[in-house]
Amino acid sequence: MATRDSLIQVTDLKKHYNMGAIKALDGVTTNIYQGDVVVVIGPSGSGKSTFLRSLNLLEEPTGGSIMFDGIDITKKKYKDASGKTVKLDIDQLRQKMGMVFQHFNLFPHMTILDNMVLAPVKVKGMSRAEAEKKALALLERVGLGDRASAYPIQLSGGQKQRVAIVRALAMEPQVMLFDEPTSALDPEMVGEVLDVMKELAREGMTMVCVTHEMGFAREVGNRVLFMDQGKLLEEGTPEDIFEHPKNPRLQDFLSKVL
Amino acid sequence: MDSFIKFSNFSKILPYAQLFRQGMLVTILLSLFTVAIGFCLALILALMRLSNFRPLRFLGIDKNGHERQGGFLELVSRFNPLNFIATAYVEILRSTPVLVQIFIIYYGVFGLIELPSFQVFGFIKFDRFFPGVVALGMNSGAYLCEIIRSGVQSIDGGQTEAARSLGLSQVQNLRYIILPQALKNILPAIANEFVVIIKESAITYTIGVQDIMSAVNAVKGATFVIIEPLLVATAIYFCLCFPTSKVIAYFERRMSRGDKR
Repeated sequence: MATRDSLIQVTDLKKHYNMGAIKALDGVTTNIYQGDVVVVIGPSGSGKSTFLRSLNLLEEPTGGSIMFDGIDITKKKYKDASGKTVKLDIDQLRQKMGMVFQHFNLFPHMTILDNMVLAPVKVKGMSRAEAEKKALALLERVGLGDRASAYPIQLSGGQKQRVAIVRALAMEPQVMLFDEPTSALDPEMVGEVLDVMKELAREGMTMVCVTHEMGFAREVGNRVLFMDQGKLLEEGTPEDIFEHPKNPRLQDFLSKVL
Repeated sequence: MDSFIKFSNFSKILPYAQLFRQGMLVTILLSLFTVAIGFCLALILALMRLSNFRPLRFLGIDKNGHERQGGFLELVSRFNPLNFIATAYVEILRSTPVLVQIFIIYYGVFGLIELPSFQVFGFIKFDRFFPGVVALGMNSGAYLCEIIRSGVQSIDGGQTEAARSLGLSQVQNLRYIILPQALKNILPAIANEFVVIIKESAITYTIGVQDIMSAVNAVKGATFVIIEPLLVATAIYFCLCFPTSKVIAYFERRMSRGDKR
């Protein structure tokens, strides 16, 4: 592991509500390396979504640190290379982390193409023509090149989620975060979305994925994290986790889902 | 027995057609300026109400850097002065008669501030017209604020999350994602408010704005005919309001393109 670059270092991450009466995250420490496909599993309410959403600060942690690009992004200010104190630019940070949601969250008032070019044009300052060319190429890759002028409501769930994935990819992120990307899909559409994710993994994209798809975790993940009650209870290769689980709660969880 | 409406009376008021024409123009201008002022004001008020500006936030943090739960200090730390001002404004303006507001603006505020007295187009008295526009704009701003706020709050939080996760700033999110969708949802309510503004502008004749109603009064005084000028005014108001709601309905259809399969 030492040969690979750590992309995100999470140390003792905490998210408490009501003065610590509710601990959504209770001291999570882990590393996400370049090229990793990290799959986070666990029962519902275990804090896995909160963990994922903390990584791009959709949830603000109440304790601990997240180092990304050499900056602790949980602090509002940081010192840059020359020692000057700079305010954390959260928008800049989020450009480098693509996120895919359970409910797709496509913008319903825009065509698929507009959904895809909005951020590259408005945030990155790319020209409209260039952004469109790139968007069409990405849509082509996920088999939706002919739906560019459609509105989100005209697409099936699986198609919407594929658009959501390439919309995030259009910003050329360093890491992709998936928050239960197949949980809201009809069973026959899960495969098409997982296929896109598998291809992405093969190309070497760093991915963190919260999912209930154990098959995907086993086949594509190179590391699996098991969380329960806000704590990271066990982590290891898919083989470790699924064939030789040590933690009794993991054993119990697996006996229920497998 | 005399009939309710006498056609001969219409010929009596015909010489005063010019008054109605001018009154109509005044009403249209009054409504347009009111809408412009009201909408800008409403947008600012709505943003104030939706803001998360808490200057006393530090009072709600305890020694260990955690947020306090409950207690007086927590209450104080939640105080949002922008929200408070906007809410107070909206509630006061909505809970008092517009006639009172117009009088206060005209006699109170513009009794102190001397307005230049000149006439636009030769018949619009600026020192009457301007206070009328200000009062109506302030009033409709309060109503439109609530409409805009409810529209923004009706948009699913996932939209903001998606936009922010793509790197859009808070302002860009509002401008490209939230407001376009919110505007579509609230268009029927806005259309209603616009029509109300046109009709409500009639009240400004009480401070001497020469709109349609003041034309009715002038004709009544000159000819002692009352029903027929009122019918003319009714027809003019209808011809202004009805197309307005139709035009907005057209935009509503255009904006809902994304809703159809």
